[in-house]
Amino acid sequence: MDTAFARSLVETLARRVIEHADELTQLDQAIGDGDHGVNMKRGFEAVLADLDALSGSNAAALFNGVGRTLVMKVGGASGPLYGTFFMQLGKAWPATLNAATLHTVCLGAVDAVAARGKSHAGQKTLLDVLMPVCELLATGADIAAIRTGAARSAQATVPMEATRGRASFLKERSIGHLDPGARSSQLMIEAVCDAVERAG
Amino acid sequence: MSNVGIVIVSHSPDVAKGAADMVRQMVGHGIPLAWTGGNPAGGLGTSVEGILEAIDAAWSDAGVAILVDMGGAETNSEMAIEMLDPERQDKVVICDAPVVEGAVMAATEAWGGSDLATVKRTAEELNRED
Amino acid sequence: MADAHVLLQHSAGLHARPVVTLTKLAKTFASRIHVAAAAHGPWIDAKSVVKVMGMKTPANTQLYFRAEGADADAAVAALVALVNNDFLGGPE
Repeated sequence: MDTAFARSLVETLARRVIEHADELTQLDQAIGDGDHGVNMKRGFEAVLADLDALSGSNAAALFNGVGRTLVMKVGGASGPLYGTFFMQLGKAWPATLNAATLHTVCLGAVDAVAARGKSHAGQKTLLDVLMPVCELLATGADIAAIRTGAARSAQATVPMEATRGRASFLKERSIGHLDPGARSSQLMIEAVCDAVERAG
Repeated sequence: MSNVGIVIVSHSPDVAKGAADMVRQMVGHGIPLAWTGGNPAGGLGTSVEGILEAIDAAWSDAGVAILVDMGGAETNSEMAIEMLDPERQDKVVICDAPVVEGAVMAATEAWGGSDLATVKRTAEELNRED
Repeated sequence: MADAHVLLQHSAGLHARPVVTLTKLAKTFASRIHVAAAAHGPWIDAKSVVKVMGMKTPANTQLYFRAEGADADAAVAALVALVNNDFLGGPE
């Protein structure tokens, strides 16, 4: 993946998250402490501000730099989680990108997020979108299928009871709400799909 | 300075500073000591950047022992350690101890010139006491 | 081997701040040093801040010190002096 395309990917997903900051705040007010939108906006604005500097070398370095920026600037639990995702992408970015290597590097990044958060699927978190979408990559799914999969997975968090993260303190009162981390993951995946389609 | 350094991480900057003040008063100036508290938004929470700065400020070739209050402080401290230069990563540990008492115990042990493993073990004795 | 005992007069007993000062002083000596709140023990490692803090010895108790090593006499003398001086003058 050339650096220019990686940069446009990051820019697209950063802007997407920032656009939806209010929605993320509302979701987080329902079952969290209400700061997911504000935190993610701060982090991705910092990413955009640093994008030129971060895009200096190659895609791997860009992803690693994005990760580090998110860790430093997002705060909350999301900073280390999304930060770890991008840092791991950067660390293990393949020399040759194809369906198989893309799946492998994404799986590694998702596993790193799970390890960082000491969590797994089914707990009503961002993993409940990241993990199924990663599995779709293994089946060679196309862009349309990934979009649908991400949306479906995010919606699937609505009836879940949270057993990890701030929402877990609400127990059964967390049921009936879309998880904010699942939503921000969905937004980023959709943005990536858009950028890939735009590039043709 | 070849005594182990102590870093105090609390969700509250007041707690972190207060704990550091207590350590300084009780243990003195013979150990490197730094504190951090508050999140990037300036509210209660912890910040990886703040933790990295504190580790650097309290750095010692003998290593650094980190005392944390709750969950997020520990996760962010783990994150900070992974973002350190490789030569420093093995020399930083997080202690499973109450933040204030653990800091006092760890600092006292460090003052006596004990190594990092001993400092960590001393702080953690508190959680093993019955 | 050296031993001595001294009355703990510090008003709050052997609480956190004096414990830290006492263990810091004990650590400056090479000898093995133990402290107890009774003549027959139980003997607590005077260099272990956690263990000494666990003694929770109240004021007006006799503190017993026992040291073994080359500087045992000096260690016991210093610790007795520290207690008599209300835990002031310990090492910085």
